[in-house]
Amino acid sequence: METDQRQVELVDATVASQFARAALLTVLLGAAAQIAIPIPGPSPPITLQVLFVFLAGLILGPIWGSFSMILYLTAGAIGVPIFANFGSGIGILFGQSGGYLWSYPLAAALIGLLVHRDYRSHGLRDPATASISLVVAALVAGTILIYGMGAAYMAMLLELTAWQAITAAVIPFIPGEIVKIIAAVALVRSGRLPTVGHQSGR
Amino acid sequence: MLTYEPDDTLAHRLDPRSKVAIQIGFAATALSHTAPRALAVLTLVMLMILATARVSLLQTLYAYRFAFVFLGGAPLLASITLGPPWVDLSAGVDSLLASYRVLLILLVSAAYIRSTRVRDSRAAIQRTIPGKPGQLLGIGVALVFRFLPVLRADVKTIRDAMAARLGTERAAHERAGTVALLGLERAFDRADRLSLALQARCFAWNPTLPPLSFSRLDAPALGIAIVLALSALL
Repeated sequence: METDQRQVELVDATVASQFARAALLTVLLGAAAQIAIPIPGPSPPITLQVLFVFLAGLILGPIWGSFSMILYLTAGAIGVPIFANFGSGIGILFGQSGGYLWSYPLAAALIGLLVHRDYRSHGLRDPATASISLVVAALVAGTILIYGMGAAYMAMLLELTAWQAITAAVIPFIPGEIVKIIAAVALVRSGRLPTVGHQSGR
Repeated sequence: MLTYEPDDTLAHRLDPRSKVAIQIGFAATALSHTAPRALAVLTLVMLMILATARVSLLQTLYAYRFAFVFLGGAPLLASITLGPPWVDLSAGVDSLLASYRVLLILLVSAAYIRSTRVRDSRAAIQRTIPGKPGQLLGIGVALVFRFLPVLRADVKTIRDAMAARLGTERAAHERAGTVALLGLERAFDRADRLSLALQARCFAWNPTLPPLSFSRLDAPALGIAIVLALSALL
């Protein structure tokens, strides 16, 4: 084997810190994908995946938040069992829930862009300092993106009409999504969410 | 649960990049065909791919059983109409054929999972995706694999502690919020220690990658991948 003579190009401390947090948020999303919390009524139990997509955008911002979600898709695709029901494999990305999964990086980026609008000049802000209406609007926009892509892909893949896809893939999950938005907003308002600003630590 | 199993099958000896190419080629052609004859050919291809990795069809079907709810339900839903005649069988059959191709794609991906180590996938990612994003994704995949059991245990500890304090009686949004917040605190605490440890060990953009190389076997495998991808255009 040849000896590599190149100089070592070290990763900047800030990047290393953001990367480690993004990677562990990915793991947490994978661990939480298996948790089901029952909610009252006929709706299916909620899983916490989408809550962590929200938190990726809110805490890590648009760049690292979407990186964290791309890492989730990549790790799941190569066989780490982090998709729902301990699933993994490239097939799942093309399967009936593929539209939801592909939307995660976009939703985290959208939420991050809306909440951290000045991140290029001022770094990431503490989400607790953002107005509640902005946070709610960002989370609702992210949810619409996730379910829009999820239902559209499912309709195309399984040859369903738009209404059939919405009936199967959106309506049953609306109560659960409202619960997750309330949980995310309560976490932001509590001021206890960790922050990852460029200058400040936690 | 599907996972890597050490073995010496043909699929185990192939480079991960060839196997990814075959999966993408297969998915491309499956997503563009729903005719019964095309699906019959693809079923044969799927069975051959599973045989090269010595994957048990029954075990794989069991591992993907949760997908059946949707794949089985979609044709039923598609066959219902909101007015007379109430049932449209041809729409149901179209959706059934469309669901079947999704099952084929899922089964093919099981061959990759059984025959490919995470570190080989990581090396393939770092060699295929250029620049810093490729390096971070490769290392990230390795970290996700390493930390998954650790954070699963953390989440279980949190949920057990909540249950012991009657947290299960609380409203769903409070339960979800508590798991998320405590999970994040623990995960970021671990992340901070991890980033310190990475820097102490010379965390670099140009690390020595795990060895990986194409062999003679990969040429026909890549050829099959190209044929599969081109057959999407037929």
